[in-house]
Amino acid sequence: MASPSPGPLVSDAPAGGPHGARIEVTGLTKTFGSVLAVDDLSFAVEPGRVTGFLGPNGAGKTTTLRCLLGLVAPTSGGATIGGRHYHDLHEPMRVVGSALEATGFHPGRSATAHLRVLARAGGLDEARAPEVLELVGLAESASRKVGGFSLGMRQRLQLASALLGDPGVLVLDEPANGLDPEGIAWLRAFLRYLAGQGRTVLVSSHVLSEVEQTVDDVVIIAQGRLVRACPLTELTEHGQRLVVRTPQAAELVSALASVAPQARVTAVEDGSLLVEDVEAPVVGRAALDARVELHELRPATSDLEQVFLSLTGGATS
Amino acid sequence: MSTVTAPSPATAGRRSRLVSAELLKVTSTRMWLGLLAALCVYVGIGIVATVFAPEQPGVTVPRLTTAAGMRNLFAQGGGGYLFAIVIGTLGMTQELRHQTLTSTLLAEPRRNRVMVAKMAAYAVVGAVYGAVGVLFGYALALGLLPFKDHGDLPATAMWQIAGGAVIGCALFAVLGVAIGALIRNQIAAVLGVLVWVVLVEALLVALLPTVGKWLPGGALNGILQATGFNDAQYLPVWAGALVLIGYTVVFGVLAAATTQRRDVT
Repeated sequence: MASPSPGPLVSDAPAGGPHGARIEVTGLTKTFGSVLAVDDLSFAVEPGRVTGFLGPNGAGKTTTLRCLLGLVAPTSGGATIGGRHYHDLHEPMRVVGSALEATGFHPGRSATAHLRVLARAGGLDEARAPEVLELVGLAESASRKVGGFSLGMRQRLQLASALLGDPGVLVLDEPANGLDPEGIAWLRAFLRYLAGQGRTVLVSSHVLSEVEQTVDDVVIIAQGRLVRACPLTELTEHGQRLVVRTPQAAELVSALASVAPQARVTAVEDGSLLVEDVEAPVVGRAALDARVELHELRPATSDLEQVFLSLTGGATS
Repeated sequence: MSTVTAPSPATAGRRSRLVSAELLKVTSTRMWLGLLAALCVYVGIGIVATVFAPEQPGVTVPRLTTAAGMRNLFAQGGGGYLFAIVIGTLGMTQELRHQTLTSTLLAEPRRNRVMVAKMAAYAVVGAVYGAVGVLFGYALALGLLPFKDHGDLPATAMWQIAGGAVIGCALFAVLGVAIGALIRNQIAAVLGVLVWVVLVEALLVALLPTVGKWLPGGALNGILQATGFNDAQYLPVWAGALVLIGYTVVFGVLAAATTQRRDVT
């Protein structure tokens, strides 16, 4: 297992140094046939921070990342890294390191050979191959054929290829998939370390809890549309949020409308209601007056996953 | 798309490193060696069959005592073109099958350069295949000839046929890359190539040479100075070369053009 403080193997760029570049997605839209995968999406990712790119499966995360990396042509809008399109970067692997889902390996090629091919094509020193394998904890499997690798080992090899060019920007698509708990802990520490050096780290996930200990900012999308882009802390401090569970949702909504017209009520997929901008006692009193049966009334502020689900679920329904 | 200017040294360096990376892809798995072994077996069978072929009633095959028969024998050294086109097709389609095209295009997002580098690399691989087939085939033929009555073939003709085989195999490997990029599905592409080369084209070249000589395999027969059944003539060397280069360029350009805009998902 690799050490969580891989000092000498990635360059020690000073925080805020020349390394990290800003990622900017502007009005990005992509349709596949009649399917609208990404819908007028705009957000920015800042250097020196870990940004979580979140959304349920099928929300358009991978398509967005593939547009950013020049693999998929946007229908309209676009995405830049440090103000330039990926295909305009002179030495792209030195600027952006990426690990995308559904990126494969030839099963008959060794881990080292895979990295040497990429290093050679990208104009990088092939001596980096054993270094990055060491860095991700695969040194002992370096000469093994990738066909025999577990999912977790493939994830580490993806990460190794992203690090080959010692890039200032890292784009990682679901990097925690297939990692064991120890691997996830290692990944968290590693991403924090990289962002601490001033690099830009964009990491996608469909599970907020997987990244909530790691990320500074979140960009949440659902059905190809932006739901929220903000620092993680703002996600939990967003007004007064209550989880309410009742078999008489319609009666409660109409009761609330008369006493607290500013309150916003959203139905959550698990059958509860998310009630915003109103105090718990007001909801309780309204329910009592209207003889509405309550099964649950509690603040939602500390439950990030619930916020995430309500945000993304709200856009789905 | 691209403007016509002399490449800068940096661009030239980038192109050669892409070709080198493509060659490393080939040599870092064992497939190319397996296909090369199969090529030697295939060429060997062709040589043995040509030397010891019994006479068939109704079909005139140039006999070994004639110059045409001797040219046909050494032309068998170019039989490796089947394996050249197959390894080209496999080389392109495995990038799609194993989804390595994503990392290939992340390392070099200019797709035309990637396609040109891949075709150049497979031209090298095809030339190596052609050279090995010629060496193996010639050695076997020269070893077997003393057992049969045979004519003479000047050394210059043997060199010409050998050169034609090497260049022909190089072109067929490039053609394979292009067909792989156009068909994309590995099994469909390889099966299609095999059925075409071994069955459809081979029959047309043998039985309907007036049409067959214009096909890629028939054009190769012209390059290799072979003579068909009943003294059927193929294209002269230069015309065969032009036809085969034409096919390679047309398919290569089509392949690069369709790869240029396609989404890689």
